[in-house]
Amino acid sequence: MPRIAVGDIQFYYQQKGEGPDVVLIHGITGNMAIWPLIDLIDNLADDFRVTYYDLRGHGYSDTPASGYTSAEMAADLRRLQQTLRLGPAYLVGHSFGAVVALHAAALYPDHVAGVVLSDAYFPALHELEADITHWDGWPGYKAQTERAGLEVSPDDWFDVGNLCRQAASLDSERLKMFIEEVGQPGLDRLVRLAGTTCGEDVKAVAGLTAERIVSVKHPVLALYGEHSPFLATCRYLQDNLPNCRVALVRGAKHLAHEESPQDFVALVQENLREMAGISGSWNHSQAEPVGGNS
Amino acid sequence: MSEPTYPQIMTDLAAMLGNFNGREYGGQITPETMFSADLGMASIDAVVLGETIEIHYGRTLPFGEFLADLGRRGARDIAVGVLAEFIHKHLSLAPEG
Repeated sequence: MPRIAVGDIQFYYQQKGEGPDVVLIHGITGNMAIWPLIDLIDNLADDFRVTYYDLRGHGYSDTPASGYTSAEMAADLRRLQQTLRLGPAYLVGHSFGAVVALHAAALYPDHVAGVVLSDAYFPALHELEADITHWDGWPGYKAQTERAGLEVSPDDWFDVGNLCRQAASLDSERLKMFIEEVGQPGLDRLVRLAGTTCGEDVKAVAGLTAERIVSVKHPVLALYGEHSPFLATCRYLQDNLPNCRVALVRGAKHLAHEESPQDFVALVQENLREMAGISGSWNHSQAEPVGGNS
Repeated sequence: MSEPTYPQIMTDLAAMLGNFNGREYGGQITPETMFSADLGMASIDAVVLGETIEIHYGRTLPFGEFLADLGRRGARDIAVGVLAEFIHKHLSLAPEG
């Protein structure tokens, strides 16, 4: 099992392919299996050397008690790059993994070649998404969390710490509801993180201010679900990042890689190939106007 | 050397899964045993199990295709026998190496 010591932490990773480096970064409560499950690895490995790993506190990587801000996880990524001797990499991150990716581009610009942000939500841009009740997926999300025995409100619906705390203290009836709706592995993931500072850390700006976000000059693909809760963030990135292209995944909400995997894989592959000059050339102005529901 | 039979593969999988990365399973593992519901395994365990199987048989198997097929079908859980069939099919096809 390929595990590598990065500082005091053992990270689990896998690597496949030859070519310019691509690193895939999953979101909070996920793990690196999301990528092979949608066949992204084999699709990219013909053109790129693809490295994918479990973030700290996730999958088969270690779970330290603290250190879960985007700055700290971007530092993990940088040290992983150094240890594995990767070149400047194209970073593909989902949700908070996308925040880590953009933070890495801001902190270590010489070691990043481009960024794909899949449904990123930035703590510094929280006010853009202040009223989640405008999201057309809100009623369905709320109903699903209630079926899982959890309680969410428009104010705390995206608070991972709140979800972890609730999951760790479910009574027997709600525990049964959660396992039926989400499954035991999902419960295990939340309970594991409940013993860490992750829930609070991922809400921290941690230096990735709005000014820092828009200072990133790398090619950036803002890849959002057509029905994402974070389309205001997508519009902000389109308007303010200097080298940003937008693509929307038809029919998808926050989990485009699961909801429309073929479209997601095709868009990531096509845009990475353009960023790397393998097919065509990157032109950020080929942007897709972002409509939205908020 | 002849390729392992399906029953041999089931025996091998039962040995691997009976104590997988420190998680012990006391029950009997049969082709009908479910990875998630019975063994409590998550998607990430499937990735690690794939590596374990490749090391055991000394072959590279197309687990990427297998996982992607599960993802396409939206399968939240599969039976151990389905994996055993996949391994049997590909060990029969693959050259020794």
